[in-house]
Amino acid sequence: MINNLIKEKIVDIKKSQQDLDSFDTKSISNSRRDFLAKTAALSATALAGTSLLASEKGDPVILEPTIWGTKWGNPVTENLYGMPSKYEHNVIRRYSKLLSSGNYRASIAVTPIQDLSGIITPNGLFFSRCHGGVAQIDPNEHRLMITGLVDKPLVLTMKQLKRYPSVTRTHFIECPANGGQEWRGPQYNSLQFAKGFMSCAQWTGVYIKDILADLGLKPDATWMLAEGGDSSHMGRTIPIDKVLDDAMIVWGQNGEALRPEQGYPIRLLVPGWEGNLCVKWLRRLDFANGPWACKEETAKYTVLKPTGKAIQHFYANEVNSTVTSPCPEIDWTDLKDGDIVEIEGLAWSGMGTITGVDLSYDGGKNYVEAKLKGLILPKCWTRWSYMHTYKEGQELLLTSRARDDDGNIQPTIDQEELVVGVEAVYHRNAVETWKVEKDGKVTHVEVRSQLDRKGKGPLFIEGKV
Amino acid sequence: MFKINKKIVVSVSTVAVLSLGLSACMENVSPTKSPVQTKKGIDGGLSYPVINGKTSLYDVNEQVAKDAKKIHYGRVPTAAEYAAWNTDIMPDGTGLPEGEGTADEGSDIYDAKCVMCHGDFGSGGGGYPALSKGNAYELQKTLTNQRLKPDEDGPVRVFGSYWPQASTLWWYIKDAMPHPFTGSLTDNQVYSLVAFILNANEMKIDGVEVDDDYILNRASFLKIKMPNRYGFEPDIYGPKGPENVRKYYADPHNFGGQTYNVKKPASRCMTNCQEPTAKVVYIQNGGISDFHPPLSQVRSLPKVKNTGFNAEKAYTANCAMCHGAEGMGAPVLGNKAEWAAIISKGKSKAYSNGIHGINGMPPKGGSDLSDNDFESVVDYMISKSK
Repeated sequence: MINNLIKEKIVDIKKSQQDLDSFDTKSISNSRRDFLAKTAALSATALAGTSLLASEKGDPVILEPTIWGTKWGNPVTENLYGMPSKYEHNVIRRYSKLLSSGNYRASIAVTPIQDLSGIITPNGLFFSRCHGGVAQIDPNEHRLMITGLVDKPLVLTMKQLKRYPSVTRTHFIECPANGGQEWRGPQYNSLQFAKGFMSCAQWTGVYIKDILADLGLKPDATWMLAEGGDSSHMGRTIPIDKVLDDAMIVWGQNGEALRPEQGYPIRLLVPGWEGNLCVKWLRRLDFANGPWACKEETAKYTVLKPTGKAIQHFYANEVNSTVTSPCPEIDWTDLKDGDIVEIEGLAWSGMGTITGVDLSYDGGKNYVEAKLKGLILPKCWTRWSYMHTYKEGQELLLTSRARDDDGNIQPTIDQEELVVGVEAVYHRNAVETWKVEKDGKVTHVEVRSQLDRKGKGPLFIEGKV
Repeated sequence: MFKINKKIVVSVSTVAVLSLGLSACMENVSPTKSPVQTKKGIDGGLSYPVINGKTSLYDVNEQVAKDAKKIHYGRVPTAAEYAAWNTDIMPDGTGLPEGEGTADEGSDIYDAKCVMCHGDFGSGGGGYPALSKGNAYELQKTLTNQRLKPDEDGPVRVFGSYWPQASTLWWYIKDAMPHPFTGSLTDNQVYSLVAFILNANEMKIDGVEVDDDYILNRASFLKIKMPNRYGFEPDIYGPKGPENVRKYYADPHNFGGQTYNVKKPASRCMTNCQEPTAKVVYIQNGGISDFHPPLSQVRSLPKVKNTGFNAEKAYTANCAMCHGAEGMGAPVLGNKAEWAAIISKGKSKAYSNGIHGINGMPPKGGSDLSDNDFESVVDYMISKSK
């Protein structure tokens, strides 16, 4: 039914790209003339035989010696665990009272993805969500117990656990409430808050299937409970298919031990699935022939539809993307007319591998194909970009749309909400739009129709019954 | 050992059979041009089985799968160890201990240990969830509400109106409440609190109202029928549960997803992909900008922190939630009668009680204040309440 609402039109992608390129070319030649006009006076007095500007003045940070260029730096005996430059103190996780219960023990601090490069989130910036505070576990006094429908129940020390053959994989973890405050319209003029309920890291641990090989999983073991050892004892039910596929118990994060915020000493990792399922401070796996109905899979992390039915056990984070540069935090106010600038972004899918990203300049009406960059891995952040010629005074609606090898492509806001409504809270993956204003500032907008409804019937687009 | 191998084989072949019916095993159109083997998972997504020593782009040491069954680390837990951690309560009552309590008894425990966060009769407060908003059976009918416009009522999602299983409540209270002192309630206290919450949600068991004196025990608990028991999809219970999940997520239209033809990616929409009715919607009324610390792209030396501690600000941030208003169970700032009793026992007693927690108050009120700073806040509160 939704497919009928929007008639897909097959087009020549190359042609629409050409249209945009030819537009760019015009503005390039204009700006080149501007540049030459502006610098003509200085060029005339340029030193003979060089292309340098003739002046005895210049930037003092070049002309004058610096302290760091003339004095000793710190000895290697300082900062034996390295810290970022003190100048980077604004690159931090951030929190909001609205995303917290009471005193920040059941809360979230989100990742400054506007300041990240590549596909790896530094451990200190990885988003942090907890339900009973960040537990500070002594690894010597932590155990993993595996019980239930297994022939041989098991208890492991952390040292024993790490003896298992290890696997290293790069995966994002996303809270399914990422973007979940914006079902009715944009709320955050910030990339960090609009999309920062996620991070991506290289994880090292053991496949649960490799531990179970010795334990004899009984044939009627269809579900697994994973439970944390922190004060909230948060638990979630995982179907056995995922357990025997790629679910891991991880202790390593980007080459070092997990941070306490990520569940030190160990957490569950279910690649591509809701961050909440990746239980931190993991202490117990239990196998049974039915699901548990944990609080975080009934009261929360369920998606209420307009039908009154709620989706439960919604595992995978769907295909998604965002423009990371420009964004509200890092805008284009410093660009000059004609500057060539890279529009860059992230794409990710918990259902597979990113196969492409499209970029729109008009809020998702028309698209051109962007380029993927770097490593392209399953259930992992993927970088993409598109080269753009900045035109002063031109308003743009930058929208990105990702797709994956599972056949999923990001819906429009209208397409998604006509099915799941505006009360879903979780699993929002419709396309996102930044508006580039005439002065180069960037604001968060949504491109959407006003939805309406008759009684308790299905939602429809207002004025279009 | 044999069982697990058999289990893996069974599960993989189930996938193969099902995927033929739903969506054929596909070869990935990988940007690397190398064919990557995939299979459809229970979540509607793809997984990447190990084929010829590779899963997706990762190399795999295939010795591990062969040798894993010969790894015998760790030991078998003792019965006491198992019992200590096996505290989960399943929907069918597995794990639910004997015991009993009434809403009346629960009310006293609630006032002492819960009301400061969850509010009177579970009405919520301080950012913590509400436990009741009234009659569960009536409020369950609000779940079809959609607040499309600001003046419309949304759905009410509290224990009585939304949760599918009562076992969740018992288990959660026992294991994870009260928030600052988890695991401190007896089984009878949990039965009492559950009775109190059932009462606040105006619920019935077997047609009988859970009034103040209703005795809730294991037998009566297992008869609770949640109004929204069948309000969830897919149906995860019973032997067909996992397959119901698989079928549900195989159809993206169930959850608002969109698809394109992986083999013909050029057929995806590239022009006129928006509804003609779609408009640019801006952030209203400033949106949410309560960001801490404030956003900044400045690369400068950090400001030297002002070490002057402000007790009034610390009070507002950490203590006012409970001490700032009547009815939260904590002595109210400025209430001379309440504070006289505390002051009469001496400041050191007040410091100690506050630092270690007392009644419903967590240690230092759940704050991160140092002992010194916390004591300054106590001094401030006493000075305002003399």
